[in-house]
Amino acid sequence: MRALVIDDSRTMRRIVRATLAAFGYEVHEAEHGQAALDLLEGGLEVDLACVDWNMPVLDGLQFVTRVRANPLWRAVTLVMVTTESEHSQIVRALAAGAHEYVIKPFTADALREKLELLGLVPEPVAAGGVA
Amino acid sequence: MSPIAHEEVQAIAQEVFAAMIDGEPESLVPWPDAGTGSDAVVAWVDVHGPWLGRASLETSTPAAHELARALLSMEADETVPREDVVDALGELANVVGGNVKALLPEHGTLGLPNVADRLPDGHLAAAVQRVPLAWRGHPFVVTVWEVAEPTVSVREGER
Amino acid sequence: MTLAADTFAYVADLVRQRSAISLEPGKEYLVESRLAPLARERGMDVDAYVRALRAQPRETELMGVVEALTTNETSWFRDQTPFMALSQHVVPALRAHLGRLDSLRVWSAACSTGQEPYSIAMVLEGTLDAGTALSITATDLSEQVLARARAGTYTQLEINRGLPAPMLVRHFQRAGAHWQVSDPLRKVVTFRRHNLLDPAPAGGPFDVVFLRNVLIYFDLAVKRAVLDRVLRAMRPGGYLVLGAAETTLGVHDGFERVEAGRACLHRAIGRPLTATLPTETARRLAGTIPHPLSAADRTRAAVPTFRGVAP
Repeated sequence: MRALVIDDSRTMRRIVRATLAAFGYEVHEAEHGQAALDLLEGGLEVDLACVDWNMPVLDGLQFVTRVRANPLWRAVTLVMVTTESEHSQIVRALAAGAHEYVIKPFTADALREKLELLGLVPEPVAAGGVA
Repeated sequence: MSPIAHEEVQAIAQEVFAAMIDGEPESLVPWPDAGTGSDAVVAWVDVHGPWLGRASLETSTPAAHELARALLSMEADETVPREDVVDALGELANVVGGNVKALLPEHGTLGLPNVADRLPDGHLAAAVQRVPLAWRGHPFVVTVWEVAEPTVSVREGER
Repeated sequence: MTLAADTFAYVADLVRQRSAISLEPGKEYLVESRLAPLARERGMDVDAYVRALRAQPRETELMGVVEALTTNETSWFRDQTPFMALSQHVVPALRAHLGRLDSLRVWSAACSTGQEPYSIAMVLEGTLDAGTALSITATDLSEQVLARARAGTYTQLEINRGLPAPMLVRHFQRAGAHWQVSDPLRKVVTFRRHNLLDPAPAGGPFDVVFLRNVLIYFDLAVKRAVLDRVLRAMRPGGYLVLGAAETTLGVHDGFERVEAGRACLHRAIGRPLTATLPTETARRLAGTIPHPLSAADRTRAAVPTFRGVAP
C-alpha cells in the first residue's frame, strides 16, 4: 500500500508518516496541494492521501476537488487531516469528495480506526493474540 | 464580549498535549504565575472573518526545544535543528488556533502559522483570554487576541 | 502540591493489582489530578485522602480510586463487525422470524460513557423503517460514566475515535470545544445504573443484547450466572453480541452460535437454567475477582488488539 501525506508542516508529515509506516505503508510526502498534484501527474500511484486543509499555493479542499475531477485518480482514498473542526467545514470537505475526516489533534489509534473504516489497514500477518 | 471562554481554551490546549505530546491531558496544568523571560518563543496564527483575531502560544526556548523533541519522537539528549523547532511550534499554534476558531459563532478562515521571539508590534489587538499553564515545569501561555474593530467594515472582507 | 512518594507507591500498587495497568514513576500528576475530585468530596487533599484510605480501606472507595485512574476514552463502532452484523444480519433475520418488526428493544450492557449505545442507535436509525419503534436500554455500574453518557457530550479526542465522518455531521453538533449528540438519538437511549448480577433492567424483553468484553473478567460460575440473567431478559430467538474473544460455548447451552459475516453472534434458543446461582452467592464470587463489573477498565484491558478490515 502506498500513501501520500500532504501537509505544509514537516512535523505533522513526520507524525503521519510514522503512523502509516507502522501499518506497512510506503509513504510519500508533499508540502502543499500543488506539489501533491505534480507527484500524481508524474505517475505516482497511491491508495491513500492524507490531506491537510490550510496550506500555501493550493489548499487541501482545492486538492480534493481537483483529484475528484480526474477519473484517473478515482481509486485514491482521500482523508482530510486538519485542524479545521467546524461542523460546516466537515460537511464541505465531504461534499468535495473527501472520504474521511480526522481532526487535529489526533492519536495514532484515531488514525488507525479511521483507516479501518475505509478498509485501508492491512490484515496483521499473525492472528491477533489474546491478552 | 468575547465568544471564547477560558475553560474552553484550556481544554483545547490540554487535548492537543494529550494527543500529540504526553498521552494524558493532565500534563498541562494551570499556573497563574506562568510567564516567559527574555528567552521566549512565540507561535501564532491569525483568524480572518467576521471575528478578527489571533491565537498565540508562548513558552521558553528550552521548553520549545523539548516540545519539538516530543513531537518529533527524538531522544532527550538530541539537538533539534532550529527550523524543526520553528516548524513544530508553528504546527502546535495551527492546531490550537484551528480549534479556537471552531468556538466562534461565525465561520472564519485560518492563516498560516508564524514563529518569532515576540509578537509583532502594533497589532492593535487586545487579549480576550490569557490561559497561563505549566508543562513539565515550563511556562506555556495560550492567549486569544481580538483585533479592535477596524475602520472599514469587517464583513466586507468576508466573501 | 507535590504528591508524597508513599501515596504514589500505594496507589500504583493498588491499580496494578486490580487492573494490570502500570503507573510508572513520572505519572504522579495523573494520580494527583484524577484523585483530586474524590479527595475534595471529603474535604481533604490527595495525600490525606490516601492516608485515610490506607488506615481504613473500604471496598467501594478502593474501586473508585482504581476506576478514576483507569477510565480512558472508548471508540465508536468499536470492532465494527458487530454493528455491520446488526444491520445486515440481525434486523433482517428478526424481521423474517417475526413476520414484521413493530418494535426493537436493545440492551447495551456495561456501556461506559455511551459510545456503544449511541453507535447502535446510529446504525439502526439507518436500517429500520418508521414502522419499527426502537428503544435502547444502556446500563453500567458506575454513576460517574452514566452521567457523562446521559449528557451525550464528547471531547474532540473522543469524537475522533472511530466515528465515520458522515455519521458525525449527521448526528452531532458543536457545543463549544465539545460535540453534542443530537436529540433524536438521545431520545431512543435510556441510561440506567445496573449490576449484571442483579435481575435484568427494565426495558425488555430484549431482541438484541450487547455484552462485550465483560465476561472475560469472571470465572466460570459467575459467567454462567450472568449469561443466565441475560437469557431471562431476552426474547426467544434474540441475539447476544459478545466480545471477539468471548463465547457462550461450554458456559451456557441456552445459546447457539450464528456466523454473520465476520461477526459471531449467539442466538437465544434455550431456557434459563433451573438451578441458577442466588444473587448473594454470585455477588460473593464476583467480589473475589479483581474489579468486577464496571466498564471503566475494560477500555484499556480489552482483549483484541487488531480488528481486521471491513469487508
